[in-house]
Amino acid sequence: MPEFYQYLFSGLTNGAIYAIIALGFSMLFAATDLINFAHGEFVMIGALILVTLWPVMGLPLPLAFVITVLATGILGIVFERLAIRTVKKPDPIVLVIITVGAGIFLRGVAMIIWGKTAKGAPPFSKMPPLEIGGAYLLAQSVWILGIVLATVLVMHFFYSRTLTGKAMSACAINKRAASLLGIATQRMTLLAFAVSAALGGMAGVIIAPITMNEYEMGAILGLKGFCAAMLGGLGNSWGAVVGGFALGIAEAMAVGYVSSSMKDAVAFLLLLLILYVRPTGILGGKAIARF
Amino acid sequence: MNAPKTDESARPLLALDGISKSFGGVRASHDVSFAVERKSITGLIGPNGAGKTTLFNIITGVYSKDCGSIFFDGQDLGKSPVHKRVSMGIARTFQNVELFSGMSVLENVLVGRHVRTKCGFFGAVARLPRHREEERLAQKYCMEMLDFVGMAHVAKKPAGDLPFGWQRLVEIARALASQPRLLLLDEPAAGLNAMETKQLGELLGQIRQRGVTLLLVEHDMSLTMEVCDYIAVLDQGRKIAFGTPRQIQADKAVIAAYLGQEEF
Amino acid sequence: MKPILRNILVYGAFIGVVAAYGLLEKSTYYLQLATFVGLNTLLAVGLNMLMGYAGQISLGHAAFYGLGAYVSGMLTVHLGWSPWATLPCALFAAGAVAYVVGLPTLRLTGYYLAMGTLGFGMIVNILFREFRRFTGGPSGLPGLPELTIGSINLSHGANALFLVWGCVIVAFFICERIVDSRMGRALRAIHYSERAAAAVGVNTASAKLAIFVFAAVIAALAGFLYAHMITFISPSTFNFLASVKLVAMVVIGGMASIWGSLLGASLLTLLPDFLHVFAEYEMIIYGLILMLVMIFFPEGLFKNLVKLYERAKNR
Repeated sequence: MPEFYQYLFSGLTNGAIYAIIALGFSMLFAATDLINFAHGEFVMIGALILVTLWPVMGLPLPLAFVITVLATGILGIVFERLAIRTVKKPDPIVLVIITVGAGIFLRGVAMIIWGKTAKGAPPFSKMPPLEIGGAYLLAQSVWILGIVLATVLVMHFFYSRTLTGKAMSACAINKRAASLLGIATQRMTLLAFAVSAALGGMAGVIIAPITMNEYEMGAILGLKGFCAAMLGGLGNSWGAVVGGFALGIAEAMAVGYVSSSMKDAVAFLLLLLILYVRPTGILGGKAIARF
Repeated sequence: MNAPKTDESARPLLALDGISKSFGGVRASHDVSFAVERKSITGLIGPNGAGKTTLFNIITGVYSKDCGSIFFDGQDLGKSPVHKRVSMGIARTFQNVELFSGMSVLENVLVGRHVRTKCGFFGAVARLPRHREEERLAQKYCMEMLDFVGMAHVAKKPAGDLPFGWQRLVEIARALASQPRLLLLDEPAAGLNAMETKQLGELLGQIRQRGVTLLLVEHDMSLTMEVCDYIAVLDQGRKIAFGTPRQIQADKAVIAAYLGQEEF
Repeated sequence: MKPILRNILVYGAFIGVVAAYGLLEKSTYYLQLATFVGLNTLLAVGLNMLMGYAGQISLGHAAFYGLGAYVSGMLTVHLGWSPWATLPCALFAAGAVAYVVGLPTLRLTGYYLAMGTLGFGMIVNILFREFRRFTGGPSGLPGLPELTIGSINLSHGANALFLVWGCVIVAFFICERIVDSRMGRALRAIHYSERAAAAVGVNTASAKLAIFVFAAVIAALAGFLYAHMITFISPSTFNFLASVKLVAMVVIGGMASIWGSLLGASLLTLLPDFLHVFAEYEMIIYGLILMLVMIFFPEGLFKNLVKLYERAKNR
């Protein structure tokens, strides 16, 4: 049994990270009908900025946290302004190639700035691991779960209680109708990019202490986040959270009971499965094809 | 009228029997039955959201029906896919005209000829005499169709560059290229001016003279009343009337349905 | 100009340039570079049929390139087969995988298709890395035999160049004929409106599947040629970045432009060689090219060059 708990804890930790990455994908898709193939790169950049600000430059952690999230958010805005709004022909195929290009570009920039060697970061606090049922839960895992949970609640509050959040939901449902009602849809798109990128940056921040941070880490995280978003139903925020945890736990169990070499394959097999069998995800997403 | 009759020529070309379709909780079609007589022009009218386009999509096979049957020339269409139905002889046009905009007008019509030609990838590369002959005949037939709708002079132009009214004619030529027995036209007069609408009415008559049966959804009432032999009226997914234009104009249920509709 | 005359002229010139280059160029380095341009052109033209003409994006095309290389590599290294005997196996394997994977994947559209193909490419790459016993794992599979006919070695110098470019010329000829045929029109129709293509009677699912298999087989052929030319293969040659590079070649040359593939593949193979800084900045430059071309020239460079030429002529 302790084994099982150990896998479960590891699954919950990774799952929380997938969940917040998935949330970034999902909310952007809900607001703009666009999938950002560069999303994983925002996670990578978040992690590397945090590593630079906190362990390397010695800024206090909360300050480094806030600066990182703001910086990635601003990067999201710049990205939307330069590469998305300028597109003359917004076909999916064109946007896929542009965001893939942006991802590769950001990866290249990160390689130049931070080099090819991976960097580590210490855990947020130096508490000993908690022992539950014979298994150990790292303090960093508690931090990750707590921060993700808090973020999900804040996002929920934003969507259900604030005017901007409601306006954004309106855009997600029908852009034209929203614009007729006087909602500045262009500003909403920009905001969606900013929040989505900031969520990515935050994922980078919380993952930094438990992974090796280097310029190539984003691709795989982005893909898994997308997989989680698909699992839960693209465009559905709660779905993203559920999908993230589901993927994290499935992966941890596969690693534990099958083979560690299959870790990454699990996500992709699940992704293909969900695309083929139930493209609306577990909780149901935005309509996928409209006639 | 529901069961296919035995006498071939008296049997309707298309018979809908109890067609129902819901999307989520919304009933788009509810127990719709009517028949389209051979070589007739039948109109399908009704207020917005009455389920006309849904019915078109069910007949052509884009949507699967929840229940009911469709008989085409006495044959149950079952679940046969869209392209199969085209080769059986059901062709259609779209409400907003969907041409392959970057391809030439002639190429568009040649795609319409797809089901009556056979050349595959091997033939495309080998180009044996029979493949060349098939291509030559297809081009000839498609030019005839373009000539028939009066668009032969723009055959080489990109379809997307034509004015809207011309695109609509090209789309009709494309549908005719598959030699349909039944042609479904989804609001053929939408976006046309009075002059063009009049010419369209004449064209529909000429198409019928070629032996093609027509079923059209149309908002332009004067056109519908003028060209149609029979009219089916839908309201909120149900068929509320069927008859000749004269009968329809006098039908109480139809008047009630339309009076409830502000836009009309 | 009559089409036949045009074909004789264009292909004659094409063959002439390749022959002249192969016979006159003495530097093995430049011969190999030109051979690589040919390999990439082959890959790009196949992908262009799928992406440019039929409008179906694939972010996992390098998987088929890799399948061609690995199937042939494993059969020759582990079982000692002659490379030529493995060629049909490699092509068949790639085609069969494309068929099985394409069946569900090509039902997807837009972003979902992009993600589906991406996921497929990733899984294939993981398999190359993890089935160490057969594939040699992340460090690769060395010791592949070279291609020979009798005493003629086709894996080096001008012979390799002629072999690869011979394949390119045949592929161009085949692709041009397909594009201008009943099936080619059907594929282009799917690109503009899949719904309308189906409505006029095109079996869109089987047409898409056929061109997907075709593109996969061409990629496998390129993989086969690559494997026996370099005699060493490793997973990183066929990873996600490789798929992105192929997409970049198609996009830069111009989607739905066979000769554009030649331009795109040439540019992206030769540029890194001319700009020595490329190595470090490779990703930045690829990323920028993809974004800028899609923003400013969504039709690709080839069509824009043609337009410029026509404008200059009319003046």
